[in-house]
Amino acid sequence: MRRTNFAALLALGTVAGLAVFSQADALQTTKAFKEVVLTVVITPSPAPVGFFRQRPAPSAAKPAARPEIARLVADPYAGPARIASSGVAWDVAPGGVLIAQVPPVQASPVPVQFVAKPDPNSAFLRVIPHTGELDVPYGTTVFPCAFELFTFYTTRHQLTDWGYGTKTQNPPPPTYPIENWPAVSYLSWQVPDFATPLKAYNNAGSPGETTWTGNPGQSQQHCIDLTIVVPNSQAAGVYTAAIQYNLLVN
Amino acid sequence: MRRLTAAAAALLLTTVTAGNAFAASLGSAQIKYKINPTVRAQVIPNYASGFGPIGGLGSGSTPAVGAGAVLGGGTVDFGNVVVGYQYLYKYAAQVNVQTNDAAGFIVYGEGATDLNGSNPVPAPATFPLAQTLFWLISSGTNSPFSPAHTFNRTGGVPIAGGAGGIDYSGTGGSPPPLATIWSNATSGNVSQGYDYQLRLSGAIPASQFNVYIVYTVIGN
Repeated sequence: MRRTNFAALLALGTVAGLAVFSQADALQTTKAFKEVVLTVVITPSPAPVGFFRQRPAPSAAKPAARPEIARLVADPYAGPARIASSGVAWDVAPGGVLIAQVPPVQASPVPVQFVAKPDPNSAFLRVIPHTGELDVPYGTTVFPCAFELFTFYTTRHQLTDWGYGTKTQNPPPPTYPIENWPAVSYLSWQVPDFATPLKAYNNAGSPGETTWTGNPGQSQQHCIDLTIVVPNSQAAGVYTAAIQYNLLVN
Repeated sequence: MRRLTAAAAALLLTTVTAGNAFAASLGSAQIKYKINPTVRAQVIPNYASGFGPIGGLGSGSTPAVGAGAVLGGGTVDFGNVVVGYQYLYKYAAQVNVQTNDAAGFIVYGEGATDLNGSNPVPAPATFPLAQTLFWLISSGTNSPFSPAHTFNRTGGVPIAGGAGGIDYSGTGGSPPPLATIWSNATSGNVSQGYDYQLRLSGAIPASQFNVYIVYTVIGN
């Protein structure tokens, strides 16, 4: 009898333990996920200090210009008059200049078509863009409320994020601005409604980091502030940042 | 018969004399001429087998090319796509240029209009083309998340809704530098292929959308 009670107690404990841990595991169910794709355009101005050419040493100064060049620079209209010619014949007769200009050519236009269907996941996870293109100079640039995120679910839920493709693509690895772990992302985020501290985007792939959590039946929509750092070593051009947001539910 | 022989002899003598006269005045003349530069261009939609859309990651559906697309022509037809997701259309368009201009040429690409919605007609009836439709040079490694450049709506006047091209006469005769998609500094017969990206924000309404992309080539 005692042995039976002990076995029942052990079984009860096991069930209770499983219940607790399985609840934690249930949070890992992904209800929906979306990629936020940002176009980052690094403009070449203002040029980083590192691009300036060093001033030559005095000993390496340019040689003096030829006397006639120096005279023309000082007084371009001094005589005698000089006219470009080739021996006795004009290459281009005065007043007879003819510039051959090619007229623009248009090929047949390309028709583009698509049929946009409603998003079945929009009731649970939505992205509301506010900034089309992130034009950034060298240094640090802040984009307040670059986009907003909306989440809702009937049970307790969690929004997570990480840089799309980080730690899973080989080759090619993700590049600027999110990079790949252990390099630190040049793109950071914060949620001003929660006074979240500025955090570099997680770039180590799943499970990423928590953006926010929600209670059962709670709808919430919050701005995401972005901060981008452009190091002087980064070439000007067009780059893409893709962030994956995941709605995990019970 | 005797008269005919005499005439023939006289003709031969005259010819020889004339030939000697020409030989005495032989010389050379330098002729200079200019060949006007010419540019011709063609654009081929769906230019390679394997064309069509991929992507829609997370949408729950796999994209398939629409009925308007055929190999080497037709429409760049993404088919059904889901609002809020991103797509890549492989081998969307190939631009071919033939020119004898040693300075080369520049190719510009612009939307004739914004995206025109129909079936059902949304309100408003158009959606911005910029930041929705993008272009990038074709590559086997392209994805819906590859860096790409947006198409913009033209500042010119669309002809027949864009089917006839764009009239730039009111905007200085050429597209803006921002619309440059290819700058080539040599002459010859050259071509370049492009993929398109579709990034559908959550703000775009459910509808069918159409637009014409117009390519303009100007010699340097």
